[in-house]
Amino acid sequence: MHELPQNLANGLLLGATYGLIAVGYTMVYGIVQLINFAHGEIFMTGGFGALTVYLGLGSGTSMWIALPLMLVGGIVTATVIAVLAERFAYRPLRNAPRLAPLITAIGLSITLQQLVWGFYPKAKSPRVFPSLPGGPFHLGSITFQSADIFVVVAAIASMLFLAYFVQRTRTGRAMQATAQDPDTAKLMGIDTDRVIVIAFILGATFAAVAGVAHGLRYGQVSFDMGFVAGLKAFTAAVLGGIGNIYGAMLGGIVLGVAESLAAGYIEKIPGMSQFGGAAWQDVWAFVILILVLMVRPQGLLGERVADRA
Amino acid sequence: MTDTTIAPGTGSAPAPGTPLLEARGVIMRFGGLTAVNNVDLTVNTGEIIGLIGPNGAGKTTFFNCLTGLYIPTEGQVTYKGTVLPPKPFKVTQAGMARTFQNIRLFHNMSVLENVLVGRHTRTKEGIVSAILRGPGYRREEADSREKAMALLEFTGLARKASHLARNLPYGEQRKLEIARALASEPGLLLLDEPTAGMNPQETRATEELVFAIRDRGIAVLVIEHDMRFIFNLCDRVAVLVQGEKLVEGTSEVVQADERVIAAYLGTPYEAAPGSTADAGSGADAGSRADADSGSASDAEGTIPEEDEQ
Amino acid sequence: MTETTTTPATAPRPALPLPETAARGLVAVGGLATAASAFLSWTYSSSFPGDLTVTGYPGGLQWVTLVAGALVLLFALSGYRIRGLRWLTPGGADGATVIVAVGALATTWFTLIAIADELGGLANLTSGGWIAGIASLLGLLGALGLPRDRTESGEKNPLKRILAYPGNRPDLSPAPALPAAVELLVIAVAVAIGLGIFTFGIDTSYGELFGGFLIAASFASWALSRSGALGRLTDITGRHRVYSAVLAFVAAAVFPFTQSNDANATIGVNLLIFGGTALGLNVVVGLTGLLDLGYVAFLGVGAYTAALVSGAATSSVHVTFPFWAAALTGAAISGIFGIILGAPTLRVRGDYLAIVTLGFGEIFRIVVNNLDGVSGPNVTGGPNGIPNIPDLTIFGFNLGNSHTIGGITLGRFANYFELMLVFIAIIVLIFSRSSSSRIGRAWVAIREDETAATAMGINAFRFKLLAFALGATLAGLAGTVMAHVNFSVVPDPFVFAGPVPPNSAFLLAAVVIGGMGTVTGPLIGAALFYLLQAKLQFLQSYQLLLFGIALILFMRFRPEGLIANKQRRLEFHEDETESAELSTAGA
Repeated sequence: MHELPQNLANGLLLGATYGLIAVGYTMVYGIVQLINFAHGEIFMTGGFGALTVYLGLGSGTSMWIALPLMLVGGIVTATVIAVLAERFAYRPLRNAPRLAPLITAIGLSITLQQLVWGFYPKAKSPRVFPSLPGGPFHLGSITFQSADIFVVVAAIASMLFLAYFVQRTRTGRAMQATAQDPDTAKLMGIDTDRVIVIAFILGATFAAVAGVAHGLRYGQVSFDMGFVAGLKAFTAAVLGGIGNIYGAMLGGIVLGVAESLAAGYIEKIPGMSQFGGAAWQDVWAFVILILVLMVRPQGLLGERVADRA
Repeated sequence: MTDTTIAPGTGSAPAPGTPLLEARGVIMRFGGLTAVNNVDLTVNTGEIIGLIGPNGAGKTTFFNCLTGLYIPTEGQVTYKGTVLPPKPFKVTQAGMARTFQNIRLFHNMSVLENVLVGRHTRTKEGIVSAILRGPGYRREEADSREKAMALLEFTGLARKASHLARNLPYGEQRKLEIARALASEPGLLLLDEPTAGMNPQETRATEELVFAIRDRGIAVLVIEHDMRFIFNLCDRVAVLVQGEKLVEGTSEVVQADERVIAAYLGTPYEAAPGSTADAGSGADAGSRADADSGSASDAEGTIPEEDEQ
Repeated sequence: MTETTTTPATAPRPALPLPETAARGLVAVGGLATAASAFLSWTYSSSFPGDLTVTGYPGGLQWVTLVAGALVLLFALSGYRIRGLRWLTPGGADGATVIVAVGALATTWFTLIAIADELGGLANLTSGGWIAGIASLLGLLGALGLPRDRTESGEKNPLKRILAYPGNRPDLSPAPALPAAVELLVIAVAVAIGLGIFTFGIDTSYGELFGGFLIAASFASWALSRSGALGRLTDITGRHRVYSAVLAFVAAAVFPFTQSNDANATIGVNLLIFGGTALGLNVVVGLTGLLDLGYVAFLGVGAYTAALVSGAATSSVHVTFPFWAAALTGAAISGIFGIILGAPTLRVRGDYLAIVTLGFGEIFRIVVNNLDGVSGPNVTGGPNGIPNIPDLTIFGFNLGNSHTIGGITLGRFANYFELMLVFIAIIVLIFSRSSSSRIGRAWVAIREDETAATAMGINAFRFKLLAFALGATLAGLAGTVMAHVNFSVVPDPFVFAGPVPPNSAFLLAAVVIGGMGTVTGPLIGAALFYLLQAKLQFLQSYQLLLFGIALILFMRFRPEGLIANKQRRLEFHEDETESAELSTAGA
């Protein structure tokens, strides 16, 4: 079973990407109880934004220069879309029954997908994304690519930043307060509207980073890459405890590892020989979700949502 | 899933004076906060019991412990001798109905429909019967409507049966909540601040309504702030301060008890001049309390009549 | 009692400062002229479909303009308070006149612009076309000069202000009932008109005609709703529910007989399948308020089950059930899946159901794709699905063959249409009976306020599960017919969102935009979405994009849906109620 470490590593990397997206989901849900269905598409547009920057820089640009610019491009794209969505699609519906913003989010998700599919040059099939030079590297029996290093660095940096932000800055604490009790937060003088916008911006930023990471790892971005990723990411957020940002990353990693192990090892269980491998990976992820909901619905680290009785 | 541990309550209760609801040693803790601390309360058939105390004393929390919305951290609640399962719908099935402090009507349903929903637990026609509409279904529907209209007559809302609940004036909304609660044919009715926001005539009308309810054989437990209302109405009054039962007894006894006066007015009984904090005097008073009824008092003064805090 | 202290109602000023007589005259003349212009030729070339080159006879889209112009004239005349037309505008004629004038302009100019666009330039319009354009414009100008008959609603949002220009329909007291025979006749006429409109819509053979038709139909419906005519009709049908429903079904059953070939019956039967499934989702989302995002999977379960027991050659289950057994089995298996999925998830936070159902929808497709003997045991035939499902034989009739009844030939799809109509009747029955019963009240109570509902003795979990399972069962039922209609079952259609209905997003949209909790709402929503997708083929690659945008706009401006029952409208516009104020006694 010397492939175990490799499987674990793959799972960790996969999970880190999920986690980056999940953090955005969970932050927004924690504050406004909205499942931002379009968050997966924010992830996708982040990837495309980065690609656009790369294409604009012209071939031959070293990735050392291109990558930071791509990140900026992706983040700008994603955050602009997120802010516009919050301001014009979600904010007017803040007091509406739950179904209305959800449908809006679904509509937004479809719209974004179709806009990219229809108007981005040659986006009807996956577009090639640049790769990072260097590698592959070996650590014991594990092989990994430069893109994988990027993922690890990005995930760690993001979580550190988020932890610092939430606990040490005024805005971060304001965000926690709003998540716990929006009315009291308002009474304390916190501009909850602004806090919500910042939550969207942060979420979009991390999603964009995840988008770049995805592009680097798989060598392509496609208009529909957001749908399944978004679904998995929300699963991860629930797994870790909705509203809990550390839970989101943890949930992502757990999900990624579980998926990877399922893909590798389920078929070795007697009687299950036909249910392993990549074809069934997503199914097992879903089964995990159901099991977690049955056994520990508040998630691994517990929910952190305002009680909007 | 519908097994009831006790027979549903009916309008005709057992002989007056037998214990109906017995709460013993109920403690409710939320994390570090003890909202209800070791409260005993007994309601006998045919009685109207009042529960008073300053805001935040834990009265509604105690109610929620009785009705299964909260599971008491410690202690026991029995109804007709049986411990109730901690699910609100089973509590109602057993024969305890309640109204809410903030009116929780089904605002977009009609007045009649609200009461019909109240009848839910005493009717049993299921989905198959609803689709087939046999004679049994029709009989039950007609019977429900009759009983619902009778309750609307009883509460004076019959003319407005087809109005939307949200269009009713405030006082009538409260009456509708009571009618809806009565529809489940309870043996014990829990009223949470039924006269909040009412003018004196409406309060008087509510008083008469509660008497009429008692005359139908239903015991009543009322939380209220309106002292005149409480003392006119109740056979016994229990005073809750900071989660503890300070004193319990007849209206005269409670009115004259200095600790109660102190808890409400903040007048220090033996404390230094100038310390008027409610909490301070409450704690002083509480530390001298034998949490039992019937302590004789010097009729120094009675609590001035308050309409509303 | 309720005291209202409103300032005396002052009507806002009309958009154009015309003297009233002039305005009225202008609208009437404009409407007449618009209608008359349909008889002229609008273009030289017959490359534009419908042949609009003939003077003296309307063709294609000119018919739509004719009807639109006639409506403008009708409403304008009603504005003169002519006694015979009072039934049309019990709620005021002027607001409706504006609406229908905009509609006439929109559909006429749509046609003219389409002509210019397709034939290459405005030169292709004859003087007749110009006359039509000007006439409809005059009609609108006149309408904009009509007095406005409602108070300013105080809307800040400029877009909403434009939409609110015609005002809201006033709350009308119910009209006294007409003699029963008259009312029954009215219903029959309305059903016949409805059938005619519907048939026209399905029959449109080219996209432009459907586009113009849709524009005109939408504005006409809005105008009739604003004027109160539709409300009166609803009152009347409300008094004769069973009769209306039966008549509607009879009309629907007659529909295939009006077609000369089977093509439209194909559209019809697919529409019915979509509509029936939407009604099932209506129980879950519309009544009980549960967020089900993967509903199409239940349709798929029913379809695959029916295929497996249908005796198809490639089915891995070697049985052939008679149809009634197959239908029941499909429904039951679907229901069981509903219970399996619902039991763990309905106990927890409601939003989780959304993600679980979404996941289930995706997983379903993946699983049936994998069970092909290679990646998994061969149950569903993988990507190829189960082809060659035999046609049904009911009471000796083989539905796959054409039958001739009374000289009219019913093809294969027409036969299945009638079968699906029976199923729709069953689904409608189940839906309306359960929603108006104790069960339905419990569902709505749960949706309104779950805490209060449980305090009233409702076992919320059990009823949510019931709603969820019932919804799944109804979808499974529709799926069994779908399997036979489509000859085969493949995994591809069972996606969350895709260009062709039914899929989960479309189903949800049909319910939400059609009107949650009502019987007709999801059916109309389904019809609308299906026909839009089927007819506007020239917009093919933009269809999904427009769909997404439509969802966003609807939720922003009319979240209660098209057919709103009053309760839902109130739920969504809580802060905007104009009705009698509550008096808060004391504090």
